[in-house]
Amino acid sequence: MTILTTLNDELTAVVAQVQQSLVQLTHGRRGIGAGTIWHEDGLILTNAHVVQRRTPKATLWDGREYETTLLASDESLDIAALSIEASDLPIIPLGDSEALRPGQWVTSVGHPWGVKGAASFGNVIEMGTPLEWNGSNREMIQVGIQLRPGHSGGPMVDEYGRLVGINTLITGPQVGLAVPIHVVTKFLAETLNYTPIQHL
Amino acid sequence: MSTLAELSDAIAAVVKTAEESVVRVEARRRLPATGLVWSEDGIIVTANHVVQKDDNIKVGLADGTTVPATLVGRDPSTDLAILKIDQTGLKPFVEVDKTSLGVGNLVLALGRPGKTVQATMGILSAYGGSWRTHTGGQIDHYLQTDLVMYPGFSGGPLVNAEGQLVGFNSSSLMRGVSLAVPTSTIARIADSLMTHGHVKKGYLGVSTQQVRLPETAQEDLKQKRGLLVVSVETGSAADKGGLTLGDTIVGVEGATVQNHDDLLAQLRGDRIGKKVSLKILRGGKSKKVSVKVGERSS
Repeated sequence: MTILTTLNDELTAVVAQVQQSLVQLTHGRRGIGAGTIWHEDGLILTNAHVVQRRTPKATLWDGREYETTLLASDESLDIAALSIEASDLPIIPLGDSEALRPGQWVTSVGHPWGVKGAASFGNVIEMGTPLEWNGSNREMIQVGIQLRPGHSGGPMVDEYGRLVGINTLITGPQVGLAVPIHVVTKFLAETLNYTPIQHL
Repeated sequence: MSTLAELSDAIAAVVKTAEESVVRVEARRRLPATGLVWSEDGIIVTANHVVQKDDNIKVGLADGTTVPATLVGRDPSTDLAILKIDQTGLKPFVEVDKTSLGVGNLVLALGRPGKTVQATMGILSAYGGSWRTHTGGQIDHYLQTDLVMYPGFSGGPLVNAEGQLVGFNSSSLMRGVSLAVPTSTIARIADSLMTHGHVKKGYLGVSTQQVRLPETAQEDLKQKRGLLVVSVETGSAADKGGLTLGDTIVGVEGATVQNHDDLLAQLRGDRIGKKVSLKILRGGKSKKVSVKVGERSS
Protein backbone atom coordinates (compact mmCIF):
# COMPACT_ATOMS: atom_id res chain seq x y z
CA MET A 1 0.00 0.00 0.00
CA THR A 2 1.54 3.31 -1.03
CA ILE A 3 1.28 6.45 1.04
CA LEU A 4 -1.13 7.85 -1.56
CA THR A 5 -3.53 4.95 -1.03
CA THR A 6 -3.37 5.49 2.72
CA LEU A 7 -4.00 9.20 2.31
CA ASN A 8 -6.83 8.43 -0.07
CA ASP A 9 -8.54 6.03 2.33
CA GLU A 10 -8.22 8.42 5.26
CA LEU A 11 -9.58 11.34 3.27
CA THR A 12 -12.59 9.35 2.03
CA ALA A 13 -13.31 8.23 5.60
CA VAL A 14 -13.13 11.81 6.89
CA VAL A 15 -15.59 13.00 4.24
CA ALA A 16 -18.03 10.14 4.90
CA GLN A 17 -17.94 10.97 8.62
CA VAL A 18 -18.38 14.73 8.16
CA GLN A 19 -21.31 14.28 5.74
CA GLN A 20 -23.31 12.79 8.64
CA SER A 21 -23.35 16.20 10.32
CA LEU A 22 -24.05 18.17 7.16
CA VAL A 23 -27.43 19.84 6.81
CA GLN A 24 -29.11 21.12 3.67
CA LEU A 25 -31.07 24.32 4.11
CA THR A 26 -33.87 24.99 1.67
CA HIS A 27 -36.55 27.55 1.19
CA GLY A 28 -39.46 26.20 -0.83
CA ARG A 29 -37.87 24.19 -3.62
CA ARG A 30 -34.76 26.33 -3.62
CA GLY A 31 -31.56 25.27 -1.89
CA ILE A 32 -30.11 28.24 -0.05
CA GLY A 33 -27.07 26.77 1.63
CA ALA A 34 -25.64 24.31 4.07
CA GLY A 35 -25.57 23.96 7.81
CA THR A 36 -23.41 22.16 10.34
CA ILE A 37 -24.81 20.25 13.31
CA TRP A 38 -23.16 21.76 16.37
CA HIS A 39 -25.01 20.00 19.17
CA GLU A 40 -26.75 16.59 19.45
CA ASP A 41 -29.96 18.26 20.54
CA GLY A 42 -30.56 20.22 17.38
CA LEU A 43 -28.30 23.26 17.33
CA ILE A 44 -27.27 24.03 13.76
CA LEU A 45 -24.70 26.58 12.65
CA THR A 46 -24.82 28.37 9.32
CA ASN A 47 -24.00 31.76 7.78
CA ALA A 48 -26.08 34.82 8.55
CA HIS A 49 -26.37 35.55 4.82
CA VAL A 50 -28.01 32.16 4.30
CA VAL A 51 -30.88 32.91 6.69
CA GLN A 52 -31.09 36.64 5.96
CA ARG A 53 -34.65 36.67 4.66
CA ARG A 54 -36.57 33.75 6.11
CA THR A 55 -35.89 30.75 8.31
CA PRO A 56 -35.26 27.74 6.12
CA LYS A 57 -36.24 24.10 6.26
CA ALA A 58 -33.44 21.75 7.30
CA THR A 59 -32.80 18.34 5.72
CA LEU A 60 -30.38 16.05 7.53
CA TRP A 61 -27.98 13.70 5.72
CA ASP A 62 -30.28 10.73 6.52
CA GLY A 63 -33.16 12.54 4.81
CA ARG A 64 -35.12 13.67 7.87
CA GLU A 65 -36.69 17.11 7.43
CA TYR A 66 -37.31 19.77 10.08
CA GLU A 67 -38.65 23.26 10.43
CA THR A 68 -36.05 25.57 11.98
CA THR A 69 -36.12 28.40 14.49
CA LEU A 70 -33.58 31.21 14.30
CA LEU A 71 -31.88 31.53 17.68
CA ALA A 72 -29.23 34.15 16.96
CA SER A 73 -27.55 35.82 14.04
CA ASP A 74 -24.63 38.21 13.56
CA GLU A 75 -24.25 39.70 10.12
CA SER A 76 -20.83 41.25 10.75
CA LEU A 77 -19.45 37.82 11.66
CA ASP A 78 -21.75 36.10 9.12
CA ILE A 79 -22.81 33.46 11.64
CA ALA A 80 -26.29 32.29 12.59
CA ALA A 81 -27.57 29.63 14.98
CA LEU A 82 -30.70 27.63 14.19
CA SER A 83 -32.48 25.01 16.23
CA ILE A 84 -34.52 21.99 15.22
CA GLU A 85 -36.66 19.67 17.35
CA ALA A 86 -34.36 16.66 17.31
CA SER A 87 -31.97 14.80 19.55
CA ASP A 88 -29.07 12.32 19.30
CA LEU A 89 -27.75 13.99 16.16
CA PRO A 90 -24.25 13.18 14.90
CA ILE A 91 -21.78 15.97 15.62
CA ILE A 92 -18.27 16.74 14.44
CA PRO A 93 -15.60 16.86 17.14
CA LEU A 94 -14.23 20.37 17.54
CA GLY A 95 -10.72 21.17 16.38
CA ASP A 96 -8.43 24.01 17.36
CA SER A 97 -8.84 26.74 14.77
CA GLU A 98 -6.38 29.02 16.56
CA ALA A 99 -3.68 26.44 15.93
CA LEU A 100 -4.26 26.36 12.14
CA ARG A 101 -1.15 27.24 10.17
CA PRO A 102 -0.60 28.18 6.51
CA GLY A 103 -0.02 25.06 4.42
CA GLN A 104 -2.21 22.81 6.53
CA TRP A 105 -4.70 20.62 4.67
CA VAL A 106 -8.42 21.14 5.21
CA THR A 107 -11.59 19.77 3.60
CA SER A 108 -14.83 21.69 2.99
CA VAL A 109 -18.13 19.90 2.58
CA GLY A 110 -21.37 21.44 1.35
CA HIS A 111 -23.81 21.53 -1.54
CA PRO A 112 -22.04 23.66 -4.20
CA TRP A 113 -24.57 24.53 -6.93
CA GLY A 114 -26.92 22.08 -5.22
CA VAL A 115 -24.67 19.01 -5.54
CA LYS A 116 -25.32 17.20 -2.26
CA GLY A 117 -22.46 16.54 0.14
CA ALA A 118 -19.69 17.49 -2.27
CA ALA A 119 -16.19 17.70 -0.81
CA SER A 120 -13.26 19.96 -1.71
CA PHE A 121 -9.72 19.74 -0.45
CA GLY A 122 -7.07 22.44 -0.15
CA ASN A 123 -4.47 24.25 1.89
CA VAL A 124 -4.79 26.99 4.43
CA ILE A 125 -3.32 30.08 2.78
CA GLU A 126 -3.37 32.36 5.77
CA MET A 127 -5.19 33.08 9.00
CA GLY A 128 -6.62 36.54 9.55
CA THR A 129 -8.22 39.29 7.52
CA PRO A 130 -7.88 39.22 3.73
CA LEU A 131 -5.77 42.12 2.47
CA GLU A 132 -8.63 43.47 0.36
CA TRP A 133 -10.67 44.13 3.50
CA ASN A 134 -8.90 47.33 4.48
CA GLY A 135 -9.30 48.24 8.10
CA SER A 136 -11.35 45.19 9.03
CA ASN A 137 -10.13 42.95 11.81
CA ARG A 138 -12.40 40.00 11.16
CA GLU A 139 -10.68 36.73 11.86
CA MET A 140 -11.01 34.35 8.94
CA ILE A 141 -9.46 31.17 7.58
CA GLN A 142 -8.29 31.78 4.01
CA VAL A 143 -8.01 28.60 1.98
CA GLY A 144 -7.12 27.53 -1.54
CA ILE A 145 -10.52 25.91 -2.03
CA GLN A 146 -13.04 27.03 -4.61
CA LEU A 147 -16.08 27.70 -2.46
CA ARG A 148 -19.32 28.00 -4.40
CA PRO A 149 -22.90 29.02 -3.68
CA GLY A 150 -24.26 26.15 -1.55
CA HIS A 151 -21.03 25.66 0.36
CA SER A 152 -22.04 28.44 2.75
CA GLY A 153 -22.67 27.24 6.28
CA GLY A 154 -21.13 23.81 5.73
CA PRO A 155 -18.27 22.38 7.79
CA MET A 156 -14.55 22.81 7.18
CA VAL A 157 -12.51 20.12 8.91
CA ASP A 158 -8.84 19.40 9.51
CA GLU A 159 -6.97 16.19 8.64
CA TYR A 160 -8.49 14.36 11.61
CA GLY A 161 -12.01 15.35 10.57
CA ARG A 162 -12.28 17.88 13.40
CA LEU A 163 -14.36 21.00 12.85
CA VAL A 164 -12.18 24.08 12.35
CA GLY A 165 -14.45 26.44 10.44
CA ILE A 166 -17.77 27.25 8.84
CA ASN A 167 -17.49 27.79 5.05
CA THR A 168 -18.40 31.34 4.22
CA LEU A 169 -17.61 32.94 0.91
CA ILE A 170 -15.40 33.44 -2.07
CA THR A 171 -13.16 36.45 -2.47
CA GLY A 172 -11.41 35.62 -5.72
CA PRO A 173 -11.72 32.77 -8.16
CA GLN A 174 -9.67 30.45 -5.97
CA VAL A 175 -9.64 31.81 -2.46
CA GLY A 176 -12.23 30.53 -0.05
CA LEU A 177 -13.02 31.92 3.38
CA ALA A 178 -14.30 30.27 6.53
CA VAL A 179 -15.26 31.57 9.96
CA PRO A 180 -12.89 29.90 12.45
CA ILE A 181 -14.47 27.76 15.15
CA HIS A 182 -13.06 29.87 18.00
CA VAL A 183 -14.99 32.85 16.63
CA VAL A 184 -18.16 30.71 16.49
CA THR A 185 -17.65 29.54 20.06
CA LYS A 186 -17.28 33.13 21.25
CA PHE A 187 -20.40 34.13 19.33
CA LEU A 188 -22.43 31.33 20.91
CA ALA A 189 -21.17 32.18 24.38
CA GLU A 190 -22.09 35.84 23.94
CA THR A 191 -25.46 35.46 22.28
CA LEU A 192 -26.86 32.24 23.72
CA ASN A 193 -24.78 32.00 26.85
CA TYR A 194 -23.82 28.61 25.54
CA THR A 195 -20.48 26.94 26.13
CA PRO A 196 -19.76 23.81 24.16
CA ILE A 197 -18.71 20.62 25.82
CA GLN A 198 -15.49 19.38 24.30
CA HIS A 199 -15.92 15.88 22.91
CA LEU A 200 -12.56 14.26 22.90
CA MET B 1 12.26 10.56 4.68
CA SER B 2 9.47 12.79 5.93
CA THR B 3 5.88 11.79 5.23
CA LEU B 4 5.44 14.89 3.13
CA ALA B 5 8.43 14.03 0.96
CA GLU B 6 7.15 10.47 0.61
CA LEU B 7 3.75 11.78 -0.42
CA SER B 8 5.30 14.18 -2.88
CA ASP B 9 7.34 11.38 -4.48
CA ALA B 10 4.29 9.13 -4.66
CA ILE B 11 2.35 11.79 -6.56
CA ALA B 12 5.25 12.36 -8.94
CA ALA B 13 5.45 8.59 -9.49
CA VAL B 14 1.79 8.44 -10.52
CA VAL B 15 2.37 11.19 -13.07
CA LYS B 16 5.44 9.41 -14.39
CA THR B 17 3.62 6.10 -15.00
CA ALA B 18 0.66 7.82 -16.66
CA GLU B 19 2.66 10.37 -18.65
CA GLU B 20 3.32 8.08 -21.61
CA SER B 21 -0.42 7.74 -22.30
CA VAL B 22 -1.06 11.50 -22.37
CA VAL B 23 -0.84 13.17 -25.79
CA ARG B 24 -1.11 16.66 -27.21
CA VAL B 25 -3.97 17.34 -29.63
CA GLU B 26 -3.37 20.09 -32.16
CA ALA B 27 -6.76 20.66 -33.74
CA ARG B 28 -7.63 24.25 -33.00
CA ARG B 29 -6.17 27.65 -33.68
CA ARG B 30 -4.53 28.86 -30.53
CA LEU B 31 -3.70 26.61 -27.63
CA PRO B 32 -3.39 22.86 -28.28
CA ALA B 33 -5.30 20.59 -25.90
CA THR B 34 -4.86 17.10 -24.47
CA GLY B 35 -5.85 13.58 -25.46
CA LEU B 36 -5.42 10.15 -23.95
CA VAL B 37 -4.26 6.88 -25.47
CA TRP B 38 -7.28 4.56 -25.63
CA SER B 39 -5.81 1.61 -27.47
CA GLU B 40 -2.41 0.16 -28.23
CA ASP B 41 -3.06 0.54 -31.97
CA GLY B 42 -3.57 4.29 -32.12
CA ILE B 43 -7.05 5.27 -30.94
CA ILE B 44 -6.91 8.61 -29.11
CA VAL B 45 -9.75 10.00 -27.00
CA THR B 46 -10.11 13.76 -26.63
CA ALA B 47 -12.76 16.43 -26.05
CA ASN B 48 -14.94 17.34 -29.00
CA HIS B 49 -14.81 21.06 -28.30
CA VAL B 50 -11.02 21.19 -28.73
CA VAL B 51 -11.22 19.57 -32.18
CA GLN B 52 -12.24 22.57 -34.23
CA LYS B 53 -11.19 21.22 -37.60
CA ASP B 54 -11.73 17.93 -39.41
CA ASP B 55 -8.46 17.74 -41.34
CA ASN B 56 -4.82 18.44 -40.71
CA ILE B 57 -5.03 17.32 -37.08
CA LYS B 58 -1.77 16.52 -35.30
CA VAL B 59 -1.02 14.51 -32.18
CA GLY B 60 2.10 15.05 -30.06
CA LEU B 61 3.40 11.94 -28.34
CA ALA B 62 5.29 11.59 -25.06
CA ASP B 63 8.56 10.84 -26.90
CA GLY B 64 8.46 14.29 -28.47
CA THR B 65 7.37 13.27 -31.97
CA THR B 66 4.35 14.79 -33.68
CA VAL B 67 2.27 12.59 -35.97
CA PRO B 68 -0.76 13.26 -38.23
CA ALA B 69 -4.16 12.06 -37.00
CA THR B 70 -7.51 11.43 -38.64
CA LEU B 71 -10.86 12.19 -37.06
CA VAL B 72 -12.82 8.96 -36.59
CA GLY B 73 -15.92 10.63 -35.24
CA ARG B 74 -17.31 13.08 -32.75
CA ASP B 75 -20.23 13.28 -30.36
CA PRO B 76 -20.93 16.87 -29.29
CA SER B 77 -23.57 15.71 -26.78
CA THR B 78 -20.96 14.05 -24.56
CA ASP B 79 -18.10 16.29 -25.76
CA LEU B 80 -16.15 13.29 -27.01
CA ALA B 81 -14.04 12.95 -30.15
CA ILE B 82 -12.06 9.96 -31.37
CA LEU B 83 -8.84 10.34 -33.33
CA LYS B 84 -6.70 7.68 -34.99
CA ILE B 85 -2.96 7.82 -35.42
CA ASP B 86 -0.87 5.40 -37.44
CA GLN B 87 1.08 3.88 -34.54
CA THR B 88 1.24 0.63 -32.65
CA GLY B 89 2.77 -0.31 -29.34
CA LEU B 90 1.22 2.65 -27.54
CA LYS B 91 0.47 2.35 -23.85
CA PRO B 92 -3.26 2.68 -23.09
CA PHE B 93 -4.58 3.48 -19.63
CA VAL B 94 -5.70 0.84 -17.17
CA GLU B 95 -9.34 1.37 -16.33
CA VAL B 96 -10.29 2.18 -12.75
CA ASP B 97 -12.46 -0.25 -10.80
CA LYS B 98 -15.64 1.80 -10.52
CA THR B 99 -16.63 0.30 -7.19
CA SER B 100 -13.51 1.81 -5.64
CA LEU B 101 -14.60 5.38 -6.39
CA GLY B 102 -16.02 7.57 -3.64
CA VAL B 103 -16.27 11.21 -2.63
CA GLY B 104 -12.95 12.28 -1.15
CA ASN B 105 -10.80 10.11 -3.44
CA LEU B 106 -7.60 11.73 -4.59
CA VAL B 107 -7.51 12.43 -8.31
CA LEU B 108 -5.06 13.98 -10.74
CA ALA B 109 -5.77 15.73 -14.01
CA LEU B 110 -3.03 15.42 -16.59
CA GLY B 111 -2.51 17.65 -19.57
CA ARG B 112 -0.08 18.07 -22.42
CA PRO B 113 -0.92 21.33 -24.17
CA GLY B 114 2.83 21.89 -24.59
CA LYS B 115 5.72 19.48 -24.99
CA THR B 116 5.80 18.21 -21.43
CA VAL B 117 3.13 16.68 -19.26
CA GLN B 118 1.36 18.89 -16.71
CA ALA B 119 -0.50 17.81 -13.62
CA THR B 120 -2.87 19.13 -11.01
CA MET B 121 -4.28 17.35 -7.97
CA GLY B 122 -7.58 17.43 -6.16
CA ILE B 123 -10.32 15.19 -4.85
CA LEU B 124 -13.47 13.69 -6.24
CA SER B 125 -16.02 16.20 -4.94
CA ALA B 126 -19.19 14.45 -5.95
CA TYR B 127 -19.96 11.05 -7.44
CA GLY B 128 -23.47 10.30 -8.58
CA GLY B 129 -25.69 8.45 -10.99
CA SER B 130 -26.32 9.05 -14.66
CA TRP B 131 -27.18 12.51 -15.95
CA ARG B 132 -27.91 14.20 -19.24
CA THR B 133 -25.93 17.12 -20.67
CA HIS B 134 -27.77 20.18 -21.97
CA THR B 135 -27.22 18.89 -25.48
CA GLY B 136 -28.87 15.56 -24.66
CA GLY B 137 -25.82 13.35 -24.07
CA GLN B 138 -26.21 10.49 -21.62
CA ILE B 139 -23.33 10.33 -19.11
CA ASP B 140 -23.17 7.23 -16.89
CA HIS B 141 -21.87 8.90 -13.74
CA TYR B 142 -21.75 12.40 -12.36
CA LEU B 143 -18.05 13.01 -11.66
CA GLN B 144 -17.24 16.38 -10.15
CA THR B 145 -13.79 17.30 -8.90
CA ASP B 146 -12.33 20.31 -7.12
CA LEU B 147 -9.54 20.50 -9.70
CA VAL B 148 -8.51 23.73 -11.32
CA MET B 149 -8.76 23.07 -15.05
CA TYR B 150 -5.86 24.90 -16.63
CA PRO B 151 -6.07 25.97 -20.29
CA GLY B 152 -5.43 23.02 -22.59
CA PHE B 153 -6.37 20.34 -20.03
CA SER B 154 -9.67 19.49 -21.75
CA GLY B 155 -9.67 16.03 -23.31
CA GLY B 156 -7.00 14.85 -20.91
CA PRO B 157 -7.22 12.02 -18.41
CA LEU B 158 -8.51 12.12 -14.85
CA VAL B 159 -6.63 9.43 -12.94
CA ASN B 160 -6.84 8.04 -9.41
CA ALA B 161 -4.02 7.59 -6.88
CA GLU B 162 -2.88 4.46 -8.75
CA GLY B 163 -2.73 6.23 -12.11
CA GLN B 164 -5.79 4.36 -13.39
CA LEU B 165 -8.19 6.08 -15.76
CA VAL B 166 -11.32 7.52 -14.12
CA GLY B 167 -12.47 9.54 -17.12
CA PHE B 168 -11.60 12.47 -19.34
CA ASN B 169 -11.81 16.09 -18.27
CA SER B 170 -13.98 18.58 -20.06
CA SER B 171 -14.42 22.22 -19.22
CA SER B 172 -17.31 22.66 -21.62
CA LEU B 173 -19.95 20.35 -20.09
CA MET B 174 -20.92 22.80 -17.38
CA ARG B 175 -19.73 26.24 -16.38
CA GLY B 176 -18.13 26.90 -13.04
CA VAL B 177 -17.48 23.28 -12.05
CA SER B 178 -14.89 20.75 -13.18
CA LEU B 179 -16.58 17.67 -14.57
CA ALA B 180 -15.25 14.47 -16.08
CA VAL B 181 -16.83 11.93 -18.41
CA PRO B 182 -16.42 8.43 -16.90
CA THR B 183 -14.53 5.63 -18.63
CA SER B 184 -17.69 3.54 -19.16
CA THR B 185 -19.26 6.38 -21.15
CA ILE B 186 -16.07 6.82 -23.21
CA ALA B 187 -16.17 3.09 -24.01
CA ARG B 188 -19.81 3.19 -25.08
CA ILE B 189 -19.51 6.32 -27.24
CA ALA B 190 -16.13 5.31 -28.67
CA ASP B 191 -17.60 1.96 -29.77
CA SER B 192 -20.42 3.69 -31.57
CA LEU B 193 -18.11 6.27 -33.17
CA MET B 194 -15.71 3.60 -34.39
CA THR B 195 -18.52 1.45 -35.85
CA HIS B 196 -20.82 4.12 -37.29
CA GLY B 197 -18.77 7.32 -37.28
CA HIS B 198 -21.44 8.93 -35.13
CA VAL B 199 -23.62 8.12 -32.15
CA LYS B 200 -26.93 6.64 -33.24
CA LYS B 201 -29.98 8.32 -31.80
CA GLY B 202 -33.63 7.53 -32.31
CA TYR B 203 -35.94 10.03 -34.02
CA LEU B 204 -39.67 10.52 -34.05
CA GLY B 205 -40.09 13.64 -36.17
CA VAL B 206 -42.18 15.73 -33.78
CA SER B 207 -41.77 19.10 -32.12
CA THR B 208 -43.17 19.16 -28.64
CA GLN B 209 -43.86 21.56 -25.86
CA GLN B 210 -44.14 20.71 -22.18
CA VAL B 211 -47.67 21.27 -20.86
CA ARG B 212 -49.54 20.79 -17.61
CA LEU B 213 -52.16 18.04 -17.97
CA PRO B 214 -55.85 18.62 -17.21
CA GLU B 215 -56.64 17.76 -13.60
CA THR B 216 -58.65 14.62 -14.32
CA ALA B 217 -55.82 13.31 -16.50
CA GLN B 218 -53.31 14.16 -13.75
CA GLU B 219 -55.27 11.95 -11.37
CA ASP B 220 -55.75 9.09 -13.83
CA LEU B 221 -52.15 9.00 -15.02
CA LYS B 222 -50.54 10.03 -11.72
CA GLN B 223 -48.30 12.52 -13.51
CA LYS B 224 -48.52 16.29 -13.78
CA ARG B 225 -47.03 17.04 -17.16
CA GLY B 226 -46.73 15.75 -20.70
CA LEU B 227 -45.43 16.81 -24.08
CA LEU B 228 -47.87 18.48 -26.47
CA VAL B 229 -47.16 17.70 -30.12
CA VAL B 230 -46.97 21.04 -31.93
CA SER B 231 -45.77 19.78 -35.29
CA VAL B 232 -45.31 16.47 -37.09
CA GLU B 233 -42.78 16.09 -39.88
CA THR B 234 -44.39 14.64 -43.02
CA GLY B 235 -43.27 11.10 -43.73
CA SER B 236 -41.50 10.78 -40.37
CA ALA B 237 -41.81 7.92 -37.90
CA ALA B 238 -44.40 9.86 -35.91
CA ASP B 239 -46.41 10.67 -39.06
CA LYS B 240 -46.47 7.01 -40.18
CA GLY B 241 -47.45 5.93 -36.69
CA GLY B 242 -50.47 8.22 -36.76
CA LEU B 243 -49.42 10.93 -34.26
CA THR B 244 -51.21 14.18 -34.97
CA LEU B 245 -51.05 17.78 -33.92
CA GLY B 246 -52.59 18.27 -30.50
CA ASP B 247 -51.73 14.83 -29.12
CA THR B 248 -49.97 14.91 -25.77
CA ILE B 249 -47.25 12.29 -25.27
CA VAL B 250 -47.35 11.03 -21.67
CA GLY B 251 -45.36 7.78 -21.86
CA VAL B 252 -43.13 5.50 -23.91
CA GLU B 253 -43.04 1.73 -23.35
CA GLY B 254 -44.40 1.98 -19.83
CA ALA B 255 -42.06 4.81 -18.76
CA THR B 256 -43.64 8.18 -18.00
CA VAL B 257 -42.74 11.17 -20.16
CA GLN B 258 -43.07 14.54 -18.46
CA ASN B 259 -40.35 16.54 -20.17
CA HIS B 260 -38.03 16.54 -23.17
CA ASP B 261 -35.29 14.72 -21.27
CA ASP B 262 -37.65 11.84 -20.52
CA LEU B 263 -38.48 11.50 -24.21
CA LEU B 264 -34.85 11.82 -25.33
CA ALA B 265 -33.88 9.10 -22.88
CA GLN B 266 -36.41 6.76 -24.49
CA LEU B 267 -35.13 7.41 -28.03
CA ARG B 268 -32.05 5.29 -27.53
CA GLY B 269 -29.95 4.13 -30.45
CA ASP B 270 -30.87 0.48 -29.94
CA ARG B 271 -34.54 1.30 -30.54
CA ILE B 272 -33.97 2.47 -34.12
CA GLY B 273 -36.11 0.41 -36.52
CA LYS B 274 -38.08 -1.10 -33.64
CA LYS B 275 -41.70 -0.47 -32.75
CA VAL B 276 -42.37 1.29 -29.48
CA SER B 277 -45.68 1.93 -27.84
CA LEU B 278 -46.43 5.61 -27.15
CA LYS B 279 -49.01 6.53 -24.58
CA ILE B 280 -50.81 9.71 -25.60
CA LEU B 281 -53.75 11.86 -24.60
CA ARG B 282 -56.08 12.61 -27.50
CA GLY B 283 -59.31 14.50 -26.96
CA GLY B 284 -58.90 14.05 -23.20
CA LYS B 285 -58.69 10.25 -23.52
CA SER B 286 -55.68 8.09 -22.96
CA LYS B 287 -54.67 6.06 -26.03
CA LYS B 288 -51.77 3.95 -27.24
CA VAL B 289 -50.12 4.26 -30.63
CA SER B 290 -47.32 2.17 -32.05
CA VAL B 291 -44.45 3.97 -33.76
CA LYS B 292 -41.42 2.54 -35.54
CA VAL B 293 -38.49 4.68 -34.32
CA GLY B 294 -36.48 6.41 -37.05
CA GLU B 295 -32.85 7.49 -36.96
CA ARG B 296 -31.73 11.03 -36.28
CA SER B 297 -29.48 12.27 -39.06
CA SER B 298 -26.27 13.71 -37.67
